[in-house]
Amino acid sequence: MSPVFVIAAKDLKQRFRDRSAIVLGFVAPLGIAALMSFAFRGADRFHITVGVVDRDHGPLATAFASFMQNPALHGVVTVRTVPDEATARRLVRNGSLSSAIVVPPGFSAAASGGAATGAAATGLAVLTSVNSELGGEVSRALAGSFVNQVDADRLSVATAIAAGAPASRAAELSAAAAKLRVPENVVNEPIGSRPLKAVNYYAPAMAIFFVLFAIGFTARSFFSEERDGMIDRIAAAPVRPTTVLFGKALSVFAYGVASLATVLLFTSWFFGAHWGNPIGATLLCVAMVVAVVVLTALVIALARTERQAEGIAAIIVFGLALLGGNFVTISAAPAIMRRLALLTPNGWALRGFVDLTTGARGAGVIVQPLVAIAAFTLVVGVIAALLARRWAVR
Amino acid sequence: MTVLAIAGARARRIVRDRFALFFLLVLPVLVIVIVGAIASNPGTFRVGIVDLDHSALSASLAHDLADAHALDVRTYPSVAAGKTALRRSEIATLVQIPAGTDAALRAGRPVDIVAYGEHTNSDQQAAVAAVTSVIGAHGARVQAAAFSAAASGRSFATQLALADRLVSGASTVTVSSQSVDSASKVLPKGFDYSAPTMLVLFVFINSLAGGAAMIWTRQLGMYDRMVAAPVTPAQIVFGETAVYLMIALTQSLLIVLVGATVFGVHWGDPLAATTLVFTWALVGTGAGMLAGTLFKTPEQSTSIAPTIGILLGMLGGCMWPLEIVGPTMRTFGHLAPHAWAVDAWTSLLARNGTLADIRGDLLVLAGFAAALLVVATRRLRHVLAP
Repeated sequence: MSPVFVIAAKDLKQRFRDRSAIVLGFVAPLGIAALMSFAFRGADRFHITVGVVDRDHGPLATAFASFMQNPALHGVVTVRTVPDEATARRLVRNGSLSSAIVVPPGFSAAASGGAATGAAATGLAVLTSVNSELGGEVSRALAGSFVNQVDADRLSVATAIAAGAPASRAAELSAAAAKLRVPENVVNEPIGSRPLKAVNYYAPAMAIFFVLFAIGFTARSFFSEERDGMIDRIAAAPVRPTTVLFGKALSVFAYGVASLATVLLFTSWFFGAHWGNPIGATLLCVAMVVAVVVLTALVIALARTERQAEGIAAIIVFGLALLGGNFVTISAAPAIMRRLALLTPNGWALRGFVDLTTGARGAGVIVQPLVAIAAFTLVVGVIAALLARRWAVR
Repeated sequence: MTVLAIAGARARRIVRDRFALFFLLVLPVLVIVIVGAIASNPGTFRVGIVDLDHSALSASLAHDLADAHALDVRTYPSVAAGKTALRRSEIATLVQIPAGTDAALRAGRPVDIVAYGEHTNSDQQAAVAAVTSVIGAHGARVQAAAFSAAASGRSFATQLALADRLVSGASTVTVSSQSVDSASKVLPKGFDYSAPTMLVLFVFINSLAGGAAMIWTRQLGMYDRMVAAPVTPAQIVFGETAVYLMIALTQSLLIVLVGATVFGVHWGDPLAATTLVFTWALVGTGAGMLAGTLFKTPEQSTSIAPTIGILLGMLGGCMWPLEIVGPTMRTFGHLAPHAWAVDAWTSLLARNGTLADIRGDLLVLAGFAAALLVVATRRLRHVLAP
């Protein structure tokens, strides 16, 4: 067997014997993916239960109830009829309802009659809770959408009269306005994407984060072997120094690819994660692990002792994970953070995984992250090589 | 005195270690900044706009959308860029104002404004509902302007300005809202959210990872040498406990100070907050000492400890509020001490709670601390036994 494989196998055996590699490479990311999947099962989609209190019993209140039962809203809203306002308040307070909409007495008469008279209309009241801010906003939006047409008609008459139309024509104008429809229609169109579920983001995010720990392991083992004279003994054998480096690089590569692949397959089989084109996902894993190998070389070139290697590796690992978006959903972050994430290989890998899982099409989906990760790897590799040469000369 | 000497020696090693200081202070502060920036988003929908008309009416519609307090609006140069942002969940819906909008509306023709969003994605449907309301309100003014222009023979532009003035008058049907409660079940947004949760997360992880120091001490034979000297195992146990507690308290104090002075975090009732910080430091101390006696190698401690810390942090509501997960997961999450600590911080920061309000959480945390410390000290005494 080639000495490269012998050294790689020895490193892997040593790492797995310690069990920490198994925990970091497999148990931790899978555990976190499982936790994510269970925690957000049925909870990672927006849905609210809204109470409707009809104190008006008029035609507009009936129309409002029908509007709220619109099938297009079923995915977002479940409507529950509540007998009175006090009950609605109690149900909102205890969380049974996200919010409640009260149709006040006289709503129909005031809203339709006021168009002609210009009298103040009785409005809808939305009862909200501090614990369901978004639910309150959606309820306000739904109530607003309903009153928009009523408002449009009233406003049309009021504007015409303010512009000089005689008030005596109010009834006639009101009848004419009632035939109009608001001219700006909203048409909802899908774009054919899949939702970005928590497990689809955090499974690769955590897998990459824990694979980054291999930088510290390997760099530490290099210095501990150097301290124990192992490197000198290998150098005394008919093995070139590059063979030792390639052996160590191969062990990191094999460990990293195995870890990432296991997480992707496991989450796909058991948690319904979708990774799009398998070749694309594989290439992203390989590119990311090559970047980890080169980062390991950089740490070895930078450090002088085991402790230094451990510290530098930890700073690199947590720095990349923080910037790249491994701890937080980067899509929810401010634009500056999304841009900073693209300075890191893990940020690009995560973007690639997000694009694959949400159904992006075209070669650019994979090519762009691969080129960016390769550029990062090249730059870090050149720096590591220059530092290593200086170190060797010294 | 011997106890203090043992604790002092360990403390000096930590202070000299620049990398340890990175994990004690720099990393938690960085995470507080990042999580705080993301958690500062108020309860709004992120909405993208692509204006293909570049006209006065399309600009006024975009302005209305940007003004709506339920929406957090960003503009995109092209539909493709907006769709990519929507697919990546950077926005919840994309509003496309088509070319010719202005001309069509002035001519009295209706316009279809596309709000992109998957029909099966309820997040996106909720955002579509929110933009529909704002667009409808804008359309109401346009309808009024066109109607009045036709009735009065005046220009559309003057009638639109008139409708804009009248829209806030008493003649419209209002939608009022009223909050029925003030007792929030979740931490406030921004740094008031990230600082206390990251304090809970990092004090625990750092204490656990600190178990590595105990393993090094053991591997170097320093305990054996200490026992050979006139030092009792009890003194060593107290010394170790003191140093773990001191590290946890120092890290907590630094996070509290940075949180208060740099990020303006209000930590609530001082007596209750101090008691909570101290109790949580005891939990961390127990966990760290237990890790030091359980793990065999420093590698195991520094790799497995953060994993356990992150998992318990997720379970206990440090990464997301337990209010947003299902009831089973919420109950399961309270198996982790973190959940009780976050509950207590929520009471102090979100509901202006006092010591009396968090006494139940403190009792549970004290129970965790006692259990961990008893097991850890027993195991350490076993390690120190000749």
